[in-house]
Amino acid sequence: MTIPKALPRRTFLRGLGTAAIGLPFLDAMAPALRASTIPGGAPIRMAFFYVPNGMIMDAWTPSWEGKFQDLPRTLKAMEPFKDDFIQIGNLTHNTGRALLDGAGDHGRCSGSYLTGIQVKKSLIEIKNGISFDQIVANQIGKKTRFPSLELGMEDARQAGDCDSGYSCAYTNNLAWRSETQPLPPTLDPRALFERLFGTGVPMTPAEKARQSKYRRSILDFVTDDTHKLETTLGPTDRRKLDEYLSSIREVERQLEHAEKDNSQVDPHMEKPYGIPADFAEHFKLMSDMVAIAFQADQTRIVTFLMTHEGGSRPYREIGIPDGHHPLTHHRNQPELMEKVRKINEYHVKQFAGFVEKMKATKEGDRTLLDNSMLVYGAGLADGNQHLHEDLPTIIVGKGGNYIKSGRRLVTRRETPMCNLYLTMMDRMGVNVEHFGDSTGRLEGLDLA
Amino acid sequence: MLVYKTSSRPVFSAILPLLTVGALWAAPATTAKPKTPSVDAAGFDANVKPILRNTCSGCHNATVTSGGVNLLPYLDPVTVSEDRAAWEKIVQKIQSGEMPPKGIPRPPQEKMTALVTFVQGEFEKADAAVKPDPGRVTARRLNRNEYRNTIHDLLAVDFRADKTFPTDDSGYGFDNISDILAISPVLMEKYLSAAETIASRAMGADPLPKKPIEASADLKTKTLRRLDFSTVEATQRVDFDGDYTVRFGFPGERTADAKPVKMGFWMDGQLLKTIEVEMKPSKLVYFNPFSDAEFKVYLPEGDHLFRAGFIDDDFVKTLKDAKEAYSDKKNKYIGSITFVGPFASTVEKASRKKILICDPKTGQACVQKIVANLAHHAYRRPVTPAEVAGLMKFVAMAKAQGQSTEQGIQLALEAMLVSPQFLFRTERDANPTDPEKSHRVSDVELASRLSYFLWSSMPDDELLNVAEAGKLKDATVLDAQVRRMMTDKKAAAFADNFAGQWLEIRNLDSIKPDPVKFPAWTPELKEAMRTETNMFFQDVLTENRPISDFINAKYTFLNEMLAKYYGIDGVKGPDFRRVDLTTDQRGGILAQGSVLAVSSYPSRTSPTIRGKYILNNILGTPPPPPPPDVPALDDSKVGAEVSLRKQLEAHRANPVCASCHSKMDVLGFGLENYDAIGKWRTADGKFPIDISGSLPNGKSFQTAAGMRAILMDSMPQISHCLIEKVMTYALGRGMQAYDNRTIEQINKSMAADGYHFQTMIFEVVHSLPFQSRRGELVTSQNSPPASPGDTKPKTQPAVKAKEIAQK
Repeated sequence: MTIPKALPRRTFLRGLGTAAIGLPFLDAMAPALRASTIPGGAPIRMAFFYVPNGMIMDAWTPSWEGKFQDLPRTLKAMEPFKDDFIQIGNLTHNTGRALLDGAGDHGRCSGSYLTGIQVKKSLIEIKNGISFDQIVANQIGKKTRFPSLELGMEDARQAGDCDSGYSCAYTNNLAWRSETQPLPPTLDPRALFERLFGTGVPMTPAEKARQSKYRRSILDFVTDDTHKLETTLGPTDRRKLDEYLSSIREVERQLEHAEKDNSQVDPHMEKPYGIPADFAEHFKLMSDMVAIAFQADQTRIVTFLMTHEGGSRPYREIGIPDGHHPLTHHRNQPELMEKVRKINEYHVKQFAGFVEKMKATKEGDRTLLDNSMLVYGAGLADGNQHLHEDLPTIIVGKGGNYIKSGRRLVTRRETPMCNLYLTMMDRMGVNVEHFGDSTGRLEGLDLA
Repeated sequence: MLVYKTSSRPVFSAILPLLTVGALWAAPATTAKPKTPSVDAAGFDANVKPILRNTCSGCHNATVTSGGVNLLPYLDPVTVSEDRAAWEKIVQKIQSGEMPPKGIPRPPQEKMTALVTFVQGEFEKADAAVKPDPGRVTARRLNRNEYRNTIHDLLAVDFRADKTFPTDDSGYGFDNISDILAISPVLMEKYLSAAETIASRAMGADPLPKKPIEASADLKTKTLRRLDFSTVEATQRVDFDGDYTVRFGFPGERTADAKPVKMGFWMDGQLLKTIEVEMKPSKLVYFNPFSDAEFKVYLPEGDHLFRAGFIDDDFVKTLKDAKEAYSDKKNKYIGSITFVGPFASTVEKASRKKILICDPKTGQACVQKIVANLAHHAYRRPVTPAEVAGLMKFVAMAKAQGQSTEQGIQLALEAMLVSPQFLFRTERDANPTDPEKSHRVSDVELASRLSYFLWSSMPDDELLNVAEAGKLKDATVLDAQVRRMMTDKKAAAFADNFAGQWLEIRNLDSIKPDPVKFPAWTPELKEAMRTETNMFFQDVLTENRPISDFINAKYTFLNEMLAKYYGIDGVKGPDFRRVDLTTDQRGGILAQGSVLAVSSYPSRTSPTIRGKYILNNILGTPPPPPPPDVPALDDSKVGAEVSLRKQLEAHRANPVCASCHSKMDVLGFGLENYDAIGKWRTADGKFPIDISGSLPNGKSFQTAAGMRAILMDSMPQISHCLIEKVMTYALGRGMQAYDNRTIEQINKSMAADGYHFQTMIFEVVHSLPFQSRRGELVTSQNSPPASPGDTKPKTQPAVKAKEIAQK
């Protein structure tokens, strides 16, 4: 039995940030030409960090455009990375709007954030679309052990309706594998650790090979079982079992991948122990592992739900005992708005810690951050009025020498968010003509 | 090139926002439907039309749409059958007395009654004409609770599925809804590794570490938490099943004549052991007074909450304060808990006993018997020789790898635990795609429906035996089983899972009352509240109390802490027991701390939330969602400048708000004597509490008990709501229009019987939807879409299975 004396207060990544890194991403491992790689061979990574309930926009939007001047208050924590990110104005998610569906902006904006689909207003007949990160994962995910990672910080609500008749599935999940199959985020740092690095119980190569053989046989066996079972079932039942089968296939693929890739990743970090009560500590553990997973090329796609849309988490650690969501309906009361600004700043501050890690990690003669596109944003602009236009959005990292950062880019009003997704898909090496309500690619990211 | 389209529904963009107002009632639904029986037009003209035209349409017409409702289209009798949902609302508003509202001349009561009777008569006529439809339940994946309970009952292994698997999404307020329970690659990965862990633990195959490990929790490092002067608690992870030496350190000493005290040791709320602890000075030589005690105990792997406490420790009551209680000179207390282990357990694991029903060394026949027995239970139905043969291949495979027969059984067990036959509850159809063909589910399928309904777990041997003998279709046998199951201790799962979600008390874990405003809120208080509601619910079930007890019981379940919190004297000790209530401050679930806490904001009460809670969960008439951009209350001002009541009343002055809030808030105010964590109060800030109110139907009350008494008048409605929830939970699907008839039938039996809870359970179990199912039309909605990137041909796995066979 191992009972740590106490949770390590600061679980840090030894090695990360120094030149000596024992992780297996080697330039030589990359095939010569890959659309999702940049010259030099490193792949491009993409991540989404989603914050709920909109923002106080006066502290987010500056009066100027172009090259960064004094950063707006909410983004102050990003000051050290001023040259590494771009702020984009006017991106809009029309599918977050009511469009005849009535109340429920939170359920809608969260559900449609990565899918660009007007989600079905229902508690039971969940219907969304495949999210664009999963389109990318379907195309390039085979190259890594995990096609994508879905992470979060907050347990799903246990009972009740999440927003005015929208199923909790829309607010509990960002990534959607198909129109009915959300991908639930992993919350527990320990579970993420074990998924990425194993349980910590060392296995000999022979034991590993045997486990792998057994697992494959079991998966074959149950696949066969499912096909036999399906013949006696109706269409909806079959659809359920098809979900099961497609999940089996994905696990088989991971097994194949793990068999080919014999290198064991040494995370250089202590195994976390449960979910820390402290928000900042929890985020740090989770995001540290994102950095390692990216560095070791375990995955190239991450979606990270900081907290749920419409969620009412209080932030006592910064002196705010009120729930986040009720606060955002501030009716322009200065004290309430100030509290929301503080929450917005607090979130950005945590994220900036992750950016620092990414930047401190060298990859070839560049940094891991340079080869990434980390989108930090919200599904609502003003949370008080539920505005779906001019969504707060920054992209950190240059996407492999592509994005000309260090500035604020203001696009045409009502530019679909999905245009940005198309451009990001290009960078990830996935050529898609149209996605969601896109009207074209987002121009100007690469033009200073 | 890929093209991903937006929703196929027309998107009108935001230029038509006005249409969204009252979209619900904009026009009668006219989509093609099966032929509905014609409505008695003459009766409609005589009983309905005059009132609708003269009384209602003044405020509900094409230009004035109060509450977003235009009733003009409903002057057409055909709408009674074509838009029943709307008519149900109309009838409900009239019946409850909400409409017509104050200030509008009311037609004579007998005319109103005639209207209601006529429309309800038409509904019944329509129901009688429709072919009874049992509906259809989709293959149900076991949710986390069901998985954990099933593993426990199958293998005697406690696997914390709730800490391992992702949260199950819920629909209709429950997390066992078949259509919602999706499966993802992450979950599949977890199923696979969980199967390995569980099978290995069940067979006792995990090697223990060569040397025991020591770990401790103590007060000094705050890894041990103080609950009270006699009790401490610590969260610890146990990495291996096994025996552990648990050592307790007791700093301090009491007087030389101090009596020994009993100490209890709990894991996850379960008492594991009690020992007697000597309290006299130990006379051992320490720098400070100290003594210790230890025992050996079997601990299962997992994250556990350990608690140790002196039971009935009268001595601490003589101590003034914490300073004295933790003074080494004045008191002896629990200062540390040390775990040393694991050691090989001396007792044979219960799981091995369950699996090894014969000695596998005796030969293949026994191994086959073991595997067949496991599959029989894991699949909850008889298995075919071919299925057993398929599983036996895993035993052979392990042997071919140089492993033992036991390891082979373990591998076969792993395969079973990942099989859809274990993970899903599927029911076979003879005509899966013909919605006209319905059939009774088999006795064996019915056994699983019963056990997952009442136990959230697999059928036990007795139930499965009766089912496999084909006796469960016999109503007497069925009733005997249901009666047995309701009073079995496994029925605690029904309280946990059904009541936990119906009454939302599962949310006790996610609410975060403001510690500054509510310092009394502690994990212990929270657990005590949960226990109260759970025990109360179970008592109503096992004692077959009338469901009116949920509203207005004269008893509850308390321990000393909760009794004190409620201001009730004479309850001593940490054990919960039934307590008769002598005042009307408490009584029924709406006066229980758990319900009051989950229906509040972190910093204050919300009559609106509580009112909505009553409408949703008790009366079954959820209010429509509020229009967008409704201003919220300013929390900092509540109870400071103006009373909450005044603020909400101002809010209600807005007629758009008033239509719902006039009922919601009044009900919620009826609970204002309880603060945001359920404590009784008579003032909020500097304002005295005024809970009096009158409902839209004219009934008024002065006290919380008075409000409960008014609710009691709505027994048929409350019962209807509860039946609907129980049916949803029992079937794992939402209620459809065709289920109305069943619900109404059950409600009639309930009324005839005095609303006893067990009657409801029996009636649900005997109902058509619980006992039957039908086929389903193939549509574009339910046929599987081609998922991108999924190119593996379906025939391939069968080939691979053959390969296994050859090996």
